[in-house]
Amino acid sequence: MIISKSDITRIEAYLWEIPKSFSPKMRVPARILASETLLDNIMEDRSLVQLVNVASLPGIQGASLVMPDVHEGYGFPIGGVAATVYPEGAISPGGIGYDINCGVRLLTSQQKITDIRDRLESLSKELYAQIPSGMGKGGQIKLSLQEIDEVLHNGAEWAVQKGYGVNDDLAFMESNGRLHNADASMVSEMAKKRGADQLGTIGSGNHFVEVDYVEEVFDETIAKSYGLSKNQVVVLIHTGSRGLGHQVATDYIRQIMAAMPTYDIEVPDRELACVPFNSQEGQNYFKAMGAAANYAWCNREIISWEVRRAWKNIFGPTIEPLKLMYDVAHNIAKIEEHSIEGKRIKVIVHRKGATRAFGPGFGELPEKYRNVGQPVIIPGSMGTCSYVLAGTDKSMQLTFGSCCHGAGRRLSRTAAKKQVNAPVLKEQLKEKGIFVEAGSFKGIAEEAPIAYKDVNRVVETVSDSGIAKKVVKLRPVAVVKG
Amino acid sequence: MNIVYLPHTADIRMGIQGSDLMELFQAGAIGMGNILKEGICEKKARGPIKYKIEIKAVDPTCLLIDFLSEILSTSYVEKAVFCKVKFLKLTHETAIAEIQGVQVEEFDEEIKAVTYHEADVHRTDNGHWETMVIFDI
Repeated sequence: MIISKSDITRIEAYLWEIPKSFSPKMRVPARILASETLLDNIMEDRSLVQLVNVASLPGIQGASLVMPDVHEGYGFPIGGVAATVYPEGAISPGGIGYDINCGVRLLTSQQKITDIRDRLESLSKELYAQIPSGMGKGGQIKLSLQEIDEVLHNGAEWAVQKGYGVNDDLAFMESNGRLHNADASMVSEMAKKRGADQLGTIGSGNHFVEVDYVEEVFDETIAKSYGLSKNQVVVLIHTGSRGLGHQVATDYIRQIMAAMPTYDIEVPDRELACVPFNSQEGQNYFKAMGAAANYAWCNREIISWEVRRAWKNIFGPTIEPLKLMYDVAHNIAKIEEHSIEGKRIKVIVHRKGATRAFGPGFGELPEKYRNVGQPVIIPGSMGTCSYVLAGTDKSMQLTFGSCCHGAGRRLSRTAAKKQVNAPVLKEQLKEKGIFVEAGSFKGIAEEAPIAYKDVNRVVETVSDSGIAKKVVKLRPVAVVKG
Repeated sequence: MNIVYLPHTADIRMGIQGSDLMELFQAGAIGMGNILKEGICEKKARGPIKYKIEIKAVDPTCLLIDFLSEILSTSYVEKAVFCKVKFLKLTHETAIAEIQGVQVEEFDEEIKAVTYHEADVHRTDNGHWETMVIFDI
């Protein structure tokens, strides 16, 4: 399939459409939220072919969508949103991805960057010492199979109950850090074995823990509601459900692929394998996905505990504790109600590399955020910047209440390694005041800023399109990678 | 046996070729092992950790991906890399094999999954078997 620019129509300043008539398999149009420059970048890989394929899913509603940070994935593009009709529409594990509930959280401190500038190098080393990557011997917590079941059932609450978390954090997480549809009995023994020693670990790839400061405030009112102010030091954590989630996705893609003929479903790519949500296989997956999502929330809460410990080790036991600003998933499926062609419809929203971005008035939000909208955390690459935005009503109209999830990769890992001298980059970043601690130079090269799109451009696009409001811009000062 | 690593925007794309199906599957295991721990399968093909794997699938493509997924999962549980594969049975729908591996202190790369995307086990004009395998990183 070849898609050229003449196949794409501009329907709003930042919204483009490939009409349903483009392919007989499409059930809805495919839409791209992007500036023209970003659209041209997006067309350099096969993201749009994958977007068109997603438009063929049974029961898909409105349009298949991609955000401006989209890049080619496997089956679904990364940075995509697909909503299927509840309860008989498709659920596709590939539309959530292998890293179930990969997500981001932001912790806030009471310190200003000037207070900690001379401690950054030791802070980065302490964070690296406290937070295992999980690439080798695993994390500090080893769980029995019974304890894993408790984690899968209770999510972040488990960490709080066991003294690895803070009760006040729970109100500041998407779904309060626990999906109630989770069922640990739907998770394989292999997945549980993989998860037994990985709580509190970040993994590798693009996962990280990063210390930033608020460089710029765009909206004082919302920033105040979120507890953010200029020059304030904050911590960003990006990771997911680790090997347990990867195994759940692997297990269910295989099972669902085998079940598709029963429901007379054919898909253009095996990674789009799907079944009706209300089928036995669909329900089993949804329960297992919920369990893996709970593991991820628990994992990020325990990593926060490790960060808080590092903080005390460097700044002393009386330092004001770090508070959770918000925790949001960007690989997940949720049952939500949206307006589609003037009607309120219950849908299964698949977000793969896309962040929920609900506007003001959303009941799940903590009271202090309810009037300003849900925080949306957009990490950039190390050495550039990240953003906090606020969800808007327009995201509910255009993108099923969704926004981008990062800068989006531009270069392959191979190309990045060829172009980047990692030891030199580490020194250059240090000269800029950014201390990087990583498991390998290879990891630094693969995640170098050059490998990513310009996050400023991506954020400008979502902001100008109205699906999220810029609140603050963050500048990194210490980065820890697996 | 031939293994090549090709660019992919976010993940790793690996092309493998074998003179027969058995060699293709072995190439997959070696290629994946070398991603998990760079060069490990070139140094030490055998190891003390042994596992028996049994996979059934609808076609050779699914069989290969499921077979590699099973080796990957075992690698993470055992903290080991499996480079040596001895087949007890290999048809287009069934693979029964003994895998042998060595323990590692740490993996160089974390592979989230072996995906079905772009995988297509087929015979080439010269009678060899080949496919592409995309690893989610």
